[in-house]
Amino acid sequence: MSGPAAVECRGVCKIFNQGKPNQVDALIDVDLTVEAGEFVSLIGPSGCGKSTLLRVVADLLPPSGGSIAVNGKTARQARLDFDYGMAFQQAGLFEWRKVIKNIELPMELRGWDRSKRSARSREMLELVKLPEFGDNYPWELSGGMQQRIAIARALAVDPPLLLMDEPFGALDEMTREHMQAELTRICASTHKTVVFVTHSIPEAVYLSNRVVVMSPRPGRITTVINVDLGERSEDTREDGEFFKKITEVREALRGGELGATARGIEDR
Amino acid sequence: MSRLRARVAAVAPPIIWGALFLVAWERFVVWRNIKPFVLPQPSRIWDQWKINKTGILATAKATGANALWGLVIGALLAVALALVAQRFRVMRELIAPLSAAANTMPIVALGPIFYNIFGTTSLTARRMVVALVVFFPVFVNMLKGLTQVDPVHEELMASYAASPLQILRQVRLPNALPFLLTGLRIGASLAVIAAVVVEYFGGLQNGLGSRVTSAMKQSATAKAWAYIAAACILGLLFYLSALIIEWIVMPWQRRRSQAR
Repeated sequence: MSGPAAVECRGVCKIFNQGKPNQVDALIDVDLTVEAGEFVSLIGPSGCGKSTLLRVVADLLPPSGGSIAVNGKTARQARLDFDYGMAFQQAGLFEWRKVIKNIELPMELRGWDRSKRSARSREMLELVKLPEFGDNYPWELSGGMQQRIAIARALAVDPPLLLMDEPFGALDEMTREHMQAELTRICASTHKTVVFVTHSIPEAVYLSNRVVVMSPRPGRITTVINVDLGERSEDTREDGEFFKKITEVREALRGGELGATARGIEDR
Repeated sequence: MSRLRARVAAVAPPIIWGALFLVAWERFVVWRNIKPFVLPQPSRIWDQWKINKTGILATAKATGANALWGLVIGALLAVALALVAQRFRVMRELIAPLSAAANTMPIVALGPIFYNIFGTTSLTARRMVVALVVFFPVFVNMLKGLTQVDPVHEELMASYAASPLQILRQVRLPNALPFLLTGLRIGASLAVIAAVVVEYFGGLQNGLGSRVTSAMKQSATAKAWAYIAAACILGLLFYLSALIIEWIVMPWQRRRSQAR
């Protein structure tokens, strides 16, 4: 695809409590380009700055240095233009809103009229395969279902970019694999660019075109691994190439830790 | 059918225990030969209730009106100030400790001073006391609800580039609603207590509290008890109203409490 990259980071730094005794170098000199249509995972142990990097791209945190472009604009302009949708580890649904009204929230904030909102939210419920749950309250749904609604909400105003911060981290393994398959299906049908933070190696390999391996203290990118497994299916998880890539990512993570075992990384 | 049975099972124990308590009280007074001006039997209180029915109703209305006025004014003031405190950090740092300090004060004891300021025949003093008593639980709870927002919701609204006003309407206010209602429930009970007790200090003789003191001065203890019982019922009415409002304005909690 031509046109500007979906995300372009040049020499991005993020330092918390600068100049104080408790200074933390969360990100040092990060260069990362995500092309439109790509699925890129950020993986690394706790404290490697992967979530921080996602928030800097989302303009939820200001960078301490470097430049960020999202769809060829500043990160701030991209946020104001609703260029990305975001999903977190907690679904973060509003308990006082019915499911359908949760999906409609970003549309309301953009000032869409009622008929356009309701048509779009019904469409989103179909997309995440929960059409019959629109009139339920969030607490009536399971954790996996709530997370699907959160993804529907992130996609509601059709942003080209999805930023996801361990969205499946709180789910059990079965639900998690199911959600990964659903996400690949949704991304294939909607042609989204995704930046996905995870601490699960198989999840990163299964979902991504590229896996960006990060290491902590200071947070930086150590390796970028290209994954070419073709179209994903349940058979992908049994594929020899899949396991080869898992090993490659794991070794990259160990290398980044300089011999020490990688902590906070799931091998499952 | 089973739902009806569950209702009965929930309501029956307090009724049975209450009835047993009244019977025990009646017997105890007879058995120990306690003088009626010390502790009257429930049957005598009931007689007094019947004799003074019109008086009880009229005074309950007067006291109830004071409690309601105070409750509404106090709650409105509390919500308004909580909104200001939420918006401006300086105000929050000023009001929060001030209200905590004032909360330890026995506000009803200010009754005589307010009578002195506003005049003993005005209802303003009584309603002011009720409003002040109601203010603190409502203010503290409301401010907590406005500020203790789920961090995920905050990040989400930031990602939508939502304005402070949008965040207030879509996140802070609905988040504060259950807190506000808890404050109102506490406030509703306190309002009746304050409205009755402040009448003990004098002023107009048109309320439940004034009738309690005047009955006691005449050693008409059973009559005083009848008015106290009316005050209890008034307090219960206020509390129940608060519960009903809670049920009406939080539909998302309704099915949940039934599911439990």
